[in-house]
Amino acid sequence: MTDVLPTMPGLPTGETVVDDTPPMTETREEFDVEIKGTVGAPFVDDPKMSARHSNVFYGEKQAIFDVSLDIGRNEIIAMIGPSGCGKSTFLRTLNRMNDTIPICRVEGEHCLDGEDIYAPDQDPVLLRARVGMVFQKPNPFPKSIYDNVAYGPRLHGLARTRAELDEIVEKSLVRAGLFNEVKDDLHKPGTGLSGGQQQRLCIARAIAVDPEVILMDEPTSALDPIATATIEELMDELKSRYTIAVVTHSMQQAARVSQRTAYFHMGKLVEVNPTNQVFTTPQHQLTENYITGRFG
Amino acid sequence: MEIGHHISQRYNQELEEIRTHVLKMGALVESQAENAVKALLERDGKLAKKVASSDYMVNRMEVEIDEECTQVLARRQPAASDLRLIIAVIKVITDLERIGDEAEKIGRYSRKLAKKPPITGMHATLSHLGELVLGMLHQALDAFARMDTEQALSVITGSNNINDEFDDLSRLLITYMMEDPHNIKQALRVIWCARALERIGDHSRNICEYVIFLVRGKDIRHTDLQEILDEIPDDAD
Amino acid sequence: MTATRDRIEATLRKRYRRERLFRFFGLVSLGISFLFLLILLFTIFRTGLPAFQQTWIKIDVDLDPAVLGVDRHASQDELFGANYAKAIKVSLRKIFPDAKGRKKKRGLKNLVSNSAPWQLRDAVMKHPDLIGTTHAFWFLAKDEVDVFMKGRIDRNLPESDRRLKDFQLAWIDKLLAEGRLEKRFNTTLFTAGDSREPEQAGVAGAIMGSFFTMLVTLLLSFPIGVAAAAYLEEFAPQNNRWVDFIEVNINNLAAVPSIIFGLLGLAVFINFFGVPRSTPLVGGLVLTLMTLPTIIIASRAAIKSVPPSIKQAAIGLGASPVQTLFHHTLPLAMPGILTGTIIGMAQALGETAPLLMIGMVAFVVDIPHGILDPATVMPVQVYLWSDSPERAFVERTSAAIIILLGFLVVMNSAAILLRRRFERKW
Repeated sequence: MTDVLPTMPGLPTGETVVDDTPPMTETREEFDVEIKGTVGAPFVDDPKMSARHSNVFYGEKQAIFDVSLDIGRNEIIAMIGPSGCGKSTFLRTLNRMNDTIPICRVEGEHCLDGEDIYAPDQDPVLLRARVGMVFQKPNPFPKSIYDNVAYGPRLHGLARTRAELDEIVEKSLVRAGLFNEVKDDLHKPGTGLSGGQQQRLCIARAIAVDPEVILMDEPTSALDPIATATIEELMDELKSRYTIAVVTHSMQQAARVSQRTAYFHMGKLVEVNPTNQVFTTPQHQLTENYITGRFG
Repeated sequence: MEIGHHISQRYNQELEEIRTHVLKMGALVESQAENAVKALLERDGKLAKKVASSDYMVNRMEVEIDEECTQVLARRQPAASDLRLIIAVIKVITDLERIGDEAEKIGRYSRKLAKKPPITGMHATLSHLGELVLGMLHQALDAFARMDTEQALSVITGSNNINDEFDDLSRLLITYMMEDPHNIKQALRVIWCARALERIGDHSRNICEYVIFLVRGKDIRHTDLQEILDEIPDDAD
Repeated sequence: MTATRDRIEATLRKRYRRERLFRFFGLVSLGISFLFLLILLFTIFRTGLPAFQQTWIKIDVDLDPAVLGVDRHASQDELFGANYAKAIKVSLRKIFPDAKGRKKKRGLKNLVSNSAPWQLRDAVMKHPDLIGTTHAFWFLAKDEVDVFMKGRIDRNLPESDRRLKDFQLAWIDKLLAEGRLEKRFNTTLFTAGDSREPEQAGVAGAIMGSFFTMLVTLLLSFPIGVAAAAYLEEFAPQNNRWVDFIEVNINNLAAVPSIIFGLLGLAVFINFFGVPRSTPLVGGLVLTLMTLPTIIIASRAAIKSVPPSIKQAAIGLGASPVQTLFHHTLPLAMPGILTGTIIGMAQALGETAPLLMIGMVAFVVDIPHGILDPATVMPVQVYLWSDSPERAFVERTSAAIIILLGFLVVMNSAAILLRRRFERKW
């Protein structure tokens, strides 16, 4: 709560909403679980990305309701919440992946380094090069490991010579912690790797275009615990260079890797707080219910 | 703040069991402390012996509850209020076990004191101290049982009285010892007992702090009383 | 517990019996279809195989300048106009001096194919020195002789029921005894165009016609079909009434009888656009119409089966939708698209009905050399020959079917190989 920016008119701030939280001594039934606004600290100084009053619609149906959230530089922010709570949808608004869905409509202000990413002159292709994405299921292209990593740089013409491309590929694989495992098999198909290796290949592919932000949509939900641990360790290392937003179903994962945690519920952003606070003393009853496995 | 409403019924049961066991242990420790004070005041050697030899039950319960908490930690990975509950329980039972130890100590000294003639003029002050401490322990356990931060806070606020009582008693005993050096041995035993009572008071205060941590998620240990009151103002209304 | 167990056990035997019965029926059905296939192949091959051989007759031709009407110093034009038929007639009479009377003389002439004079002409024009000498030439035998040689004419039948008369049989026996009759591999079948004379007829024209028609069909229907499928799957607005309408119509088109496409081609391409009739171009256009729905439906299924995660990965890396389509979706869908295309092309290769409507059923002797030459195609050739009265066309019909089947097998194998190549690469 110390990071709260000066109160902005019309924006939920940590302080004002805390008072809405009823005293904890009352019994649960009397809790007001209506979501009046985001509690906690959704805003940071000098954010890498920011969303203000984000509303997303699929046709007539609204998926995201007035979400305002900052993503700080070189932090890992975890987005948790029950299925269908809109966390993935929100993640996808951040690199305009939702553009590919014809019926999807996005409102509000979404900024990357202060530039509106939905501005008419903003090119989604450039944006997606700056804001990379890693998906739930490891989805390497059915090409060689080398071609997988080289795809992005080739697409955007980042390498002028073969040697440059080789260097980018190697660097990305090294950063993704995969190079030592595959350096002799660069021309074998990427689909032949194990699940965890595939996901690291996907991360290598994402960082090969040197993005500023990496969005991860449940990056380990298809992996075993060991592979998950490797990915989490990798995320921790990547943090120093990139800003990472991760959607996860695993609360333990959110607790392990993130610095801040955002809890989404029914399309609304309920609570944003430092992770160590969310997992010991969540501010909102809905967050509490979710992370302790209660119904509500 | 409550234990139930988990999607997993088994989890609800496990937490409920732990809570019940803690309350049972609390009741046992409370009766140990009561008996110890009674044996001390009434110079009941038999009761004192019983108290001194019953501590193993408290120790056993502590081990059991510890084990249960470990199981929950390992299998459920509790978070938020559940996590705080388990942490609080682990700490509460440590303090309860210490209270049990202090009661045992009082029991041992009471046996020896009962064999010698009583120190005159001590009874009223000692009895008052005992009442205060037992009352505090009772209230602390009650606050834990009901997860009542208000009561916990009032116990913490009231704990200073015990120190005053203990200081009074110390002064009395010093006078007594100065009157006749032969009394020193007896007087020291009494002072050990008073010291044990004061320790029970401290442990009770700890329990209340855990209750506040458990409910409010705020660690108020080693904090100035005034700060605590500043931090948790709304709870009193 | 045991009650449930007993109940389940009671039903078990029944279940297993049903299972065995079902497998048995499956085997029987398989056996029946296999049997029919064998019968079909056996019949076709039994009838068709002899057509791959052709009887030739050796005649010592006396190239007398008096008979030919030219001498060896004549120009090419004069050589072209020389009377070769007479030379052959004279030479034949020399072998069979007993041929007297018009009936027998005609019978004698009918031993040799009427292409013999041209054959002789070609030889003489190449080597004018032959004039004035007597030289042995091998000529194509007339189809009746050929059929007889293959044992298809029973000499025990009454003479009136036979195409070959008794005296002709006697001559054939004589020729055989002198070694003047010989069965050789029938290259004419593969090198010649259609002809009224069975011994001169070949499928080369039809093969080339089929080739050009297929070429047109493939070049048109593959890109159009794939583009349409890709657009419908990847770019078309969803839940749009027009798109739904188009989809329904494409699906219905696949079920439209093919002759309707022929009528459409006649009306639109020939009458309205004035595309020359009987040509592979118009045939290819019509077959394109017919093949498109198949290719579109197969391609859409193949494109739909490409995992969306791959497309998302590409878009997430900043690929544009069209780049995603060409870099990932189409290559991954290619095996399925190719299968659909090959099936469509195989259908088109075997199609007769629509081509009848646009004049590709014409009797075309010349081998087509382009998509604007009049042509016919393999199945139409089969149809034409099966309609011909000459006995020798029966076996040639079957032979044409064998060749057509051979092409289908080759096409399908190519398809399988192509798919394997693609699947291995990706």
